[in-house]
Amino acid sequence: MGHYEAPIREPIIVGDKTWHDVTVDVAAPVEGKANKSWWIAFIIALTAMLWGFGAIAYTIGTGIGVWGLNNKINWAWDITNFVWWVGIGHAGTLISAVLLLFRQKWRMGINRSAEAMTIFAVFQAGLFPLIHMGRIWNGFYTLPIPNQLGSLWVNFNSPLLWDVFAISTYLTVSVVFWWTGLLPDFAMIRDRATKPFQKKIYSLVSFGWSGRAKDWERFEEVSLVLAGLATPLVLSVHTIVSFDFATSVIPGWHSTVYPPYFVAGAVFSGFAMVQTLLLIMRKVSNLEGYITRVHIENMNKVILVTGGIVTVAYLSEFFVAWYTGSSYEDFTYLSWGAATGPYWWAFWALIICNAVIPQLLWVKKIRTNYTWTFIIAIFINIGMWFERFDIIVINLSRGHLPSTWTQFSPTFVDIGIFLGTLGFFFVLFLLYARAFPVIAQAEVKSILKSSGDNYKRERDNPNAVKPIPTEPKKIVKEAKSDVQADDRANSLLESIGTFDIKTQQPDDLKKVKGIGPVMEKTLNQIGIYSFDQVSKMTKKEYDLLDSITDSFPGRAQRDDWAGQANKLKS
Amino acid sequence: MASNKKYWKSVEELNEDSSIVAKLRQNEFVEDLPTDEFLGDKETLESSSTSRRDFLKYVGFTTAAASLAACEGPVVKSIPYVVKPDDVTPGIADYYATSMANGEDFANILVKVREGRPIKIEPNKLAKTNGSTNARVQASVLSLYDNNRLKGPKAKGEAISWNTFDKELTAELSKLKASGEAIVFLTGTHASPSTQKIIQDFTALYGNVDHITYDAVSESGALDAFEAMYGERALPDYDFSKADVIVSIGADFLADWQGGGFEVGYAKGRVPNHGKMSRHVQFESNMTLTGGNSDKRYMVKPSEQAQILLNIYNALTGNGGAKTTSVDAGIQKVVKQLKAAGSKAVVVTGLQDKNAQLITLAINKAIQSEVVNVSSPRYIRSGDDAKISQLLASMKAGKVGALFMYDTNPAYTLSGFAEALEKVKLSVAFAMTEDETASMSKYAAAIPHYLESWGDVNIQKGQFGLVQPTIKPLFDTRQFQDTILKWIGSSQSYYDYVKANWNTSVLKGTSWNQALHDGVHMNTSTEELTVNEVNIDSAAAALVSSIKGSDLELSLYTKVSLGFGQMANNPWLQELPDPITRTTWDNYLLISRVDAEAKGLTNWTVANGALNGDKVNVTVNGVTVKDVPVYIQPGQAPGSVGLALGYGRVKGVNANMKVGVDAYPFYQNFNTHQPVSIEKVGGVHEFACVQLQHTIMGRENEITKETTLADFVSKPKEEWNAKAHVSQDHQLVEIDNVDLWEKFDDTIGTKFNMSIDLATCTGCAACVIACHAENNVPVVGKHEIRVSRDMHWLRIDRYYSSDMTVEKGKEEGIYGSKGFFEAQEDPSDDPEVTFQPVMCQHCDHAPCETVCPVAATSHGRQGQNQMAYNRCIGTRYCANNCPYKVRRFNWFKYFDNNEFDFNLNNDLGRMVLNPDVVVRSRGVMEKCSLCIQMTQATILKAKKEGRPVKDGEFETACANACSTGAIVFGDVNDNESKVAHIKEDDRTFHLLEFVGTKPNVFYQLDVRNTNEA
Repeated sequence: MGHYEAPIREPIIVGDKTWHDVTVDVAAPVEGKANKSWWIAFIIALTAMLWGFGAIAYTIGTGIGVWGLNNKINWAWDITNFVWWVGIGHAGTLISAVLLLFRQKWRMGINRSAEAMTIFAVFQAGLFPLIHMGRIWNGFYTLPIPNQLGSLWVNFNSPLLWDVFAISTYLTVSVVFWWTGLLPDFAMIRDRATKPFQKKIYSLVSFGWSGRAKDWERFEEVSLVLAGLATPLVLSVHTIVSFDFATSVIPGWHSTVYPPYFVAGAVFSGFAMVQTLLLIMRKVSNLEGYITRVHIENMNKVILVTGGIVTVAYLSEFFVAWYTGSSYEDFTYLSWGAATGPYWWAFWALIICNAVIPQLLWVKKIRTNYTWTFIIAIFINIGMWFERFDIIVINLSRGHLPSTWTQFSPTFVDIGIFLGTLGFFFVLFLLYARAFPVIAQAEVKSILKSSGDNYKRERDNPNAVKPIPTEPKKIVKEAKSDVQADDRANSLLESIGTFDIKTQQPDDLKKVKGIGPVMEKTLNQIGIYSFDQVSKMTKKEYDLLDSITDSFPGRAQRDDWAGQANKLKS
Repeated sequence: MASNKKYWKSVEELNEDSSIVAKLRQNEFVEDLPTDEFLGDKETLESSSTSRRDFLKYVGFTTAAASLAACEGPVVKSIPYVVKPDDVTPGIADYYATSMANGEDFANILVKVREGRPIKIEPNKLAKTNGSTNARVQASVLSLYDNNRLKGPKAKGEAISWNTFDKELTAELSKLKASGEAIVFLTGTHASPSTQKIIQDFTALYGNVDHITYDAVSESGALDAFEAMYGERALPDYDFSKADVIVSIGADFLADWQGGGFEVGYAKGRVPNHGKMSRHVQFESNMTLTGGNSDKRYMVKPSEQAQILLNIYNALTGNGGAKTTSVDAGIQKVVKQLKAAGSKAVVVTGLQDKNAQLITLAINKAIQSEVVNVSSPRYIRSGDDAKISQLLASMKAGKVGALFMYDTNPAYTLSGFAEALEKVKLSVAFAMTEDETASMSKYAAAIPHYLESWGDVNIQKGQFGLVQPTIKPLFDTRQFQDTILKWIGSSQSYYDYVKANWNTSVLKGTSWNQALHDGVHMNTSTEELTVNEVNIDSAAAALVSSIKGSDLELSLYTKVSLGFGQMANNPWLQELPDPITRTTWDNYLLISRVDAEAKGLTNWTVANGALNGDKVNVTVNGVTVKDVPVYIQPGQAPGSVGLALGYGRVKGVNANMKVGVDAYPFYQNFNTHQPVSIEKVGGVHEFACVQLQHTIMGRENEITKETTLADFVSKPKEEWNAKAHVSQDHQLVEIDNVDLWEKFDDTIGTKFNMSIDLATCTGCAACVIACHAENNVPVVGKHEIRVSRDMHWLRIDRYYSSDMTVEKGKEEGIYGSKGFFEAQEDPSDDPEVTFQPVMCQHCDHAPCETVCPVAATSHGRQGQNQMAYNRCIGTRYCANNCPYKVRRFNWFKYFDNNEFDFNLNNDLGRMVLNPDVVVRSRGVMEKCSLCIQMTQATILKAKKEGRPVKDGEFETACANACSTGAIVFGDVNDNESKVAHIKEDDRTFHLLEFVGTKPNVFYQLDVRNTNEA
């Protein structure tokens, strides 16, 4: 790969990274300790996941009746969530496979996480076809395995069976593809690992990667073959999911536009979810240098294109519903009947989130802005959920026979399971962010010399002074600037008086209830040693103290340190 | 023989003093076992091949094996026949002919008995009349297994023995006899000659005895009128098949009017035959089943109905003095048609007034109506309002010494009775459950269900039926008649009594065994009819003066499900959707849209689609019933409201059956029509409806089809029953010619088809219960119905017409627009009603079959779409893809589950299960199977007998229960079969034909006689 890239192309890697910087940056989350926000996010996700698992156990133990379904609307949140998660799972493979074949280098910064997201999303998706079964314990009937009944075989006519194959193939190929890409990166962590246990684990998962030229050659070949395998899957999986609906006879489902429209919608929602995750991750894991404006803008362009396809599909369905004047069509999910019927809110949520809001991305300033992108991506995620909800629930609620018309409303179990999968997804993703190299560092290194901003800059202007390489940032809490704290300590001592440690005997401040050994040390550092000083503290001083110590705000006042000290003083 | 043989253990024994032999006497082994060698030496132990791991394996295995062995297998109770009864062959059903007569429903029936358990009621086709079974008769078998039945006699709520009961009662009776105090028998109409005779015997013994019959919902007006005119306390019979013009003024004769059973004849006249069919005009205030089936329905307030009757009478007889009504134009047309039809016309009325009934009789007499049969009247109602009022008065005055109540529950149905009963010294309720009356009475005598009883019934003059037990009494019960026999000191059993009575007065020399076998006995009487002169003019005058209108008038009615409310503890009936409102588990105040709007009352749907309604307090003559839910009923006459009787039972019913409000307090002076005032109160009522959208949304020609008689006769079939067309290669082709699949040859063997004639289907819902019973369909309760999870395999869709039609939409220029569809959703205020039974359509190209991932639903060689429950994993894809939405999912485990505390939750209630049909487990899909268990049994029977199956032998539960013959089932490959002929009929069409599912169920379109001239 040549190292030249046209200057007009924006750099993909910013921040004057060297090859070593890349290694350190990528290895940092794995080698460092988790921070507070990671733990908070993890605990929330874990709670949601456990709640969801509880709801699933309740469903399996009691019956599908604990959901809000009925004899006319036999699917609702279950399959909505299934299609939603499968759709989300589309971006990963598209980024890693299709863009690989098209030699899009910007994919390298994001493919690892996008693929991880795909796999975790497909896990969630796969849950629903399982748990929505009335008799999950017989779920293996869907597999074409030999059985004692001989001729009893699966029904190859059923789109649900195609789903079984499509999803499992997709998951398998995605995992293999993902893991192949991970091998050199796992090996990198293995080689850097200091703890024996860690080393053992990473040598296991890196499958003995040695970094020889033969390894790299095979790596490149396998990647290409897998990309070739995965590319048709990008199109096939959601096409097959759309067959669940398109091959049926239900008005609104029975629609030839579904396969392309579903694929576009899947990519649309998948990219929105990639945006959502990566915009958070680049901040949290300090990957601003690798996930840059270029990535965000390029993904937004994909969102614009696929969103456009989806919108055109909506318009055509809506047009058909209106143009035929058919009573059946008037109640499909994209019709006047839907827009003003009992599910008007779902209809408009779909239109606004999927068709209207993404149009903002035509504006360059918005599509290159991280915050705006994040907000729009969230809307798309919501909108795509509603799209599936509308397709399933609105169409089923208004079937062929008006006598069978009814509606659906979810129970706490429906909601719990959905939240549970969100939790499960984030649990997996957060664990992934702590244990996996979240950027394909080996690949990123291959483009560093062509797309890194420092190299580009030097190439264009070889005489410029090289900037001094900065130390890689550590993920530790920044120490507060001491200058301000000193000012405050001085003003605090001004009002309560100073204490000369050399001449005076310090009191045992621990006698004051609320002051422990740590707090005593802190107070001593500020210059507070005696009961006399403490007894002079008022509201103003308490606040000053709080602002310096930054711990247990309001505690000193609550415990009335001054009053206690007054008594101890005498 | 003792043996002297000696057996040698070893050669050592030859040596007498062998130490070894001596040692062996004490020890088992000659040498000490070398235990120390392998246990004492640590090193050997360690080097042995049994390692620690092996030891753990053994421990693990033995623990697992021991714990597994400790698991107790489920105890299955099955008791084999030690001595097999001759007439019971396991797996083969026995049928017994018997009769049901419970004071409300009278029918000659066949009872299907499997392994000694009656499991299903079927009509007795030997009966010339009354061989039809309505929903209640069909469901009555479940009441046999009612968990709330009285299991033995009780005195003041305490269980006693029959001996004590007899001892105490005979003592009381002799006291009464001595004191000469009045003894009154209060019974429902039983129409039983033997029971009548026993009471006469009792009277002969005790003297001061009165027997009063009481019908919870009285037909006293009609009885009085008939008695006045024809000298017999009975009801005329009507054969509507002979009618060309039927005019009904408030008579719901397709449901419970005068005991019901008229739909059979009616339906015969509703199929165009040589260009002719009957014309049915209905004047009514509530929307009834009959009104829904009529050709022309006029909405009138109850108070106007009498005037309409008078006007028709006056116009027919040439009298003047007609007062104007709101439907004068209609009356004129009706009169013209009545006159033109002459003796082929009939007028009936549901007005509970002797004068009104007299006038009706007079009209029919004047036109010499062939429809009315007065020479063999019906005895299925005999209550006398006046006598009841007298009884109440004398009870209150303490003049009744003893009251024996049988087959009646007046404490619930008769206002004022409960208070009066307290004044009666000796009250004995002969009842099946501890109902309102039994729980108030001093003695509650447990009586058996009719399926455990002997008896007889004289439904109609010359028509006798026998009641025979089909099972040994389940509990310690004794028949009312046996008790009376005991009291009068007879040693005869009631069976002997009936037999003797029949041999002397009914059979007239014919065989008792034959009569018992047939269940029915005809006895043509040659009695001459006496016709009394009655002054009709004075009756008319009295009727005029009795008309009192009010702003809002209440019409009380009974539902085809609960009727009087006797079987309120029957979950099948509670869950049976009302054919008109399609609402279950409830009664409610029916009100017109106009009145509802005026009073600010609304019905609305909530997020899950279920219906909610406002509540009102209803007051009639100072009696108020609180919190009555309001249901806005299209077709309800403005100014009138309706409320069903039979609900709101509190005693003798399970907690989850205590639904609805008790409307009997409004049934004052036995008048179903009352002035009423309503007042909106707070609170929301939650309905459980199985149908939430009431109109057909302009899809008439795809869902139900209907045409007028004129079009049917004069226009080509394409105009009123066009085949669906689809586009193929840019050309419209008939749907039959388009096929995605290659058709396999289905002309060999049996191919089942079912025909449903919409012209003769009245919507009575007997088929729904029959299906329930035959196929072990679970009851799911009010909440599940409310959230659209009904389990009925067969439902009867009901559609109202809308004011917005395609023509009107085009005229107004809104056709196809949002406003057009919205307007179509509103039913008309005065709608035409269509009923359409829908079950699995058994499509040859079934959408459900292609989508099932595991092939759990697949196509049978005989045309059925089959469900393999064992294979089903419950993805519910099939149900989604079913255009007819007939598939039913087991959302929960519906048996043995306290959440669903209905008959499947107790051993007794489960006895009704049909052993030929599996009880579906949780998580599987189920649906109509075209009663495959019945058809296979038929085929096997024919095979064993080495003959082809005859036409008419194939049956399904619904077709069997359909009294009008609207449902016909059979082998369409048999060219001679009825169903094959019907299939070729011009009226045949398929439901949603354009979808291309090629169903094996087809419909015959409805024809409405709109001829007004």
